[in-house]
Amino acid sequence: MKLLSFKSLTIGVVALFATSSASIASQDGMTETLRVGMECTYAPFNYRTAEGELAGYDVDVANGVAQILGADLEYVCQQWDGMIPALLANKFDLIVASMSITDSRLEKIDFSGPYRDSIGRLIGRADVDLNLFDDAGDPIAANFDGLRVGLERASTYANWFEAKLPGAEVVLYDASEPLYLDLQNGRVDMIMTNPMKAQLRFLSQEEGNEFAFVSPAISEVEFFGIGVGIGLRKGQDELRERLSAAIRELINNGSLEEYALKIFPFPIHNPEWGQE
Amino acid sequence: MDLTLITESVPKILSGIGITFQLMLLSAILGLILAVILLLMRLSGKWYLSWPAQIHIYIFRGTPILVQIFIIYYGLPQFEFVRDSIFWPILREPFGCAVVALTLNTGAYVCEILRGGVLGVDHGILEAGSALGLSAQQKFIYLTTPIAARIALPAYSNDFISLMKATSLASTITLMDMTGIARTIVAQTFAPYEIFISLAIIYMILTWVIQKTFGRIEKYLSHYVNP
Repeated sequence: MKLLSFKSLTIGVVALFATSSASIASQDGMTETLRVGMECTYAPFNYRTAEGELAGYDVDVANGVAQILGADLEYVCQQWDGMIPALLANKFDLIVASMSITDSRLEKIDFSGPYRDSIGRLIGRADVDLNLFDDAGDPIAANFDGLRVGLERASTYANWFEAKLPGAEVVLYDASEPLYLDLQNGRVDMIMTNPMKAQLRFLSQEEGNEFAFVSPAISEVEFFGIGVGIGLRKGQDELRERLSAAIRELINNGSLEEYALKIFPFPIHNPEWGQE
Repeated sequence: MDLTLITESVPKILSGIGITFQLMLLSAILGLILAVILLLMRLSGKWYLSWPAQIHIYIFRGTPILVQIFIIYYGLPQFEFVRDSIFWPILREPFGCAVVALTLNTGAYVCEILRGGVLGVDHGILEAGSALGLSAQQKFIYLTTPIAARIALPAYSNDFISLMKATSLASTITLMDMTGIARTIVAQTFAPYEIFISLAIIYMILTWVIQKTFGRIEKYLSHYVNP
């Protein structure tokens, strides 16, 4: 009896999967409304203002692309570590969430061309010199042994640490805000995150007084990808081409630079990406 | 459904079972001690003992355990005196925070379960004890405690299973228990169904083992009631 009921449960689950993939097929026909997944808590790239409006560089890019495509956007807020599974489960159609284009992600989803630089940088206490990097900017592995480093789960930074500095003790967080909290609380010795975001959100604030960048900007393409792109499900080559073309247009007509200068004193993309 | 992915990830998930067990057993033991203390405070009949116990129970039953974990892990270190206190070595570690939160939470629930057991003891038995000339203390130790324990056991086994599953919330504060490992694998493979279904099955097996164990204990404790 017990076995039988388990079997019917399995059938139920399978049926559930079948219906969800059926709805993917029916959704693909209408592209007027594109649903966009993002964290909504990743200032200054995608976040809610005090008025509850979504704002940030990613949001500007998404809106700019939508205007060129002539599509309506609908935003879906999704926690970072479930971003790709949610896209695959058809919870939304595009990821515009500061996601770097990496090989492991390309195995599961497609990306448009890049619209932002992808780099990481370590932040630690300003008053301690741990001698972590040599003059050439390469990490000195032995000096990382036993250090606690806070990272976001499912971020590109985790892979870099695993490959380059296995001696460091990596602590994984669900979102980026707790990183700063635990750095201040002394639970981790340093964190690795996006330097543009960290400068704005933390280091330039009063709470970041005692902290500073303790590494050069790290941008190894092997781990960090060529840049940040718009993610979409595989098998939509036509949509991917249109997205890439729209991004190139935004680069060439100066919109991307304008979006960046709203937040930073410098552009955060490579102008060469505007070439076909 | 990718079967090789499941066979590859299950051993990885199981490598976190040690943390899950440590969290569960440590919190269960400490929680039971806390529950007995709270119970004695509640039954003392003195308001200055009973009220703090009731407030503790009210707070920890009235708020979600996830919120309690977040307050203890992220909230407490905001205060300078907490970071300077002797408790900081415990509260600095996510493991310590998780055990503290689970203990305080399960202690509140188990106290109420035990109280139900105490209230369920037949008055006639206590009157018989009085007739034999037993003191209040002796009646509590020799009559109330064993009978109350037997009455409370089925409900307690429920709470124990809840506690085992609540340990998975420790993954939200960076602990690499089975759930933490599973979430990291999902982050690398982007395959939530295979990994989380495997994880769910492991938890179900654990629940089954706990249930059977408590069933044994129950049978043993009531062997003279139902011979």
